[in-house]
Amino acid sequence: MKILIIEDEKGLRESIEEYFTEAGNICETASTYAEAISKVSLYRYDCILLDITLPGGTGIEILKKVKENDHQDGILIISAKNSLDDRLQGLDLGADDYLVKPFHLSELRARVMAIIRRKNFSGNNLLQFHELTIDLLAKSVKVKNQAIRLTRKEYALLLYFIANKGKVVSKNAIAEHLWGDGIDMANNFDFIYSHIKNLRKKLIEGGCGDYIHASYGMGYKFTDQ
Amino acid sequence: MKLLARYNRVTLVTTVIMMLITGIIYYFTISLILTDDIDKDLEVEENEIFEYVAKNNQLPQVFESNDQQISFSEATQGAIKRYYIDTVYKKSEVHRRHRRRHEEYESGRALISSVSAGGKYYRVAIVKSTVETEDLLKIIFGITIGVILLLLLALFTANRLLLNRLWQPFHNLLKELRSFSISDNKTIPEPDTNIDEFKELNHAVAAMSSKVKKDYKELKTFTENASHELLTPIAVINSKLDSLLQTENFSQQQSKLLNDLYTSVSRLTRLNQSLLLLVKIENRLVDGDEEIDLKPIVEELLAQFEEIFNDKGLKVTFTGVDKTLKANRYLIDVLLNNLLSNAIRHNITGGQIVVTLTADSLVIRNTGDDTPLQSDELFKRFHKSSSSEGSGLGLTIAQQICENLGFGLNYQFVNGLHTFTAKF
Repeated sequence: MKILIIEDEKGLRESIEEYFTEAGNICETASTYAEAISKVSLYRYDCILLDITLPGGTGIEILKKVKENDHQDGILIISAKNSLDDRLQGLDLGADDYLVKPFHLSELRARVMAIIRRKNFSGNNLLQFHELTIDLLAKSVKVKNQAIRLTRKEYALLLYFIANKGKVVSKNAIAEHLWGDGIDMANNFDFIYSHIKNLRKKLIEGGCGDYIHASYGMGYKFTDQ
Repeated sequence: MKLLARYNRVTLVTTVIMMLITGIIYYFTISLILTDDIDKDLEVEENEIFEYVAKNNQLPQVFESNDQQISFSEATQGAIKRYYIDTVYKKSEVHRRHRRRHEEYESGRALISSVSAGGKYYRVAIVKSTVETEDLLKIIFGITIGVILLLLLALFTANRLLLNRLWQPFHNLLKELRSFSISDNKTIPEPDTNIDEFKELNHAVAAMSSKVKKDYKELKTFTENASHELLTPIAVINSKLDSLLQTENFSQQQSKLLNDLYTSVSRLTRLNQSLLLLVKIENRLVDGDEEIDLKPIVEELLAQFEEIFNDKGLKVTFTGVDKTLKANRYLIDVLLNNLLSNAIRHNITGGQIVVTLTADSLVIRNTGDDTPLQSDELFKRFHKSSSSEGSGLGLTIAQQICENLGFGLNYQFVNGLHTFTAKF
């Protein structure tokens, strides 16, 4: 997949680029409005990560330009401007999603994958990972054609893992993804552990490989290696 | 004491005293003048007697007329000194109807003098009734008292009417000040008066309020900008931590350090977002009302937190009726989330949370510390218990949202349960 990262903050841009760069992915970056405009008018991307405040112009202008030309690029706005107006304006203008800074890279990736999946829908709503088949429409999971019953949160967790496969996902990121802002009132993340244990048990009992690995007590990694 | 009452008291008392003093001076002056007048009359009479005696060398016939009596009595040679005296005038007259003499005593003025006639020395007493003078004085006194009373009444009424009208701009200003809110954009209107003092007062208040508003606005802008500027570095730290996590091969110590970092960064993030949110709500920048069915939202939120309830062993009960509101969905979400978070955060392991939704209120009760909390401190910014891991802004935000939505939010400690009630 081909991704364009439009972000003026160097540290953030590099981190995102690094996180997305892997075999089969092409990551390009733009740090100014002019650079971004020239890239979006020349090339097409599966997903554009778009910062709103840029030197030389705003991300909203870039978004308008892409939509004016009827390009089908997925667009995810990443912005520090956590105002509802901005979010609504962005989504009204045709952005696919809106993520507020600061965010976890795993969350960003899950959102990007969701956008790309929607874009490349083409009648195929099945997500495949080895013997795992996930029906995104029916929200059902099958292992070797045997359905396994997951709770809503377990299902969301599995999707999150698959979107971030091969990456270590921190407990904080998982907690925030599943429980949202309310999560900080938990004393610790032990309940995440039990949650992941349940998911893992269900998958293994259903005949799936053991893909979820704890990583140094900081997070988890979904990998087939 | 009202200014009017005070003013009235002072002016009226002063007026009464002044009028009394004037009356007294008036009384004495006039009575002096009148006495002087009578004395002159007496002197004229005396002179007539002297002339008569000089001409006839005998005493004139004593007669009574014109409220005047003259009497002679023999006296030792040279014993009488001439003087005036206030005395009693014995008035006797024949009552026409009763045909008998009728005596009456009136106040009088007398001139005691002496005359020699026919080789004899006489004491002369000329007495004149002063009843008319007294009557005159009485009338003058009466008129004075009447004028005082009339003046008092007039002053009282005029003060009342005039002062009430004069102070109208002041009362208007007071009303403005009472409804003064630091966060709205209303300015103090120009007063409808041409009284300089009120104009000045109004200008001073208007200048003060606009300065306060400006400072407050700047402070808020500062908070917003500061929070905003912090977002980017926090975002970078966050993403770098995520990147660092990918390098793997950490020792146990390193992973513990990383965990602590993650926790702190996420607290920082939440604190920052809470500040931004608070500024936004205070500025009433979140709008867009919609019809909201509260019950399913509460139920959904409780389901969302299920794992956290289980983790802390909390027993949660919810009873509710269908309740629809017209409000901003985002604010309602934040409100419910904050109130519920509060109930979870300050709960004890194995405690309980009771959520009750009625047609006019949402009540969240939770177990926790056995001591009631200070309800006026509770909603202040950054007020939190020492053990709390929260931002200290949750309840402040909840209260501000309630204020925006026109709800009342209050805290009570009832039957060992910390009770938060949002009244719709």
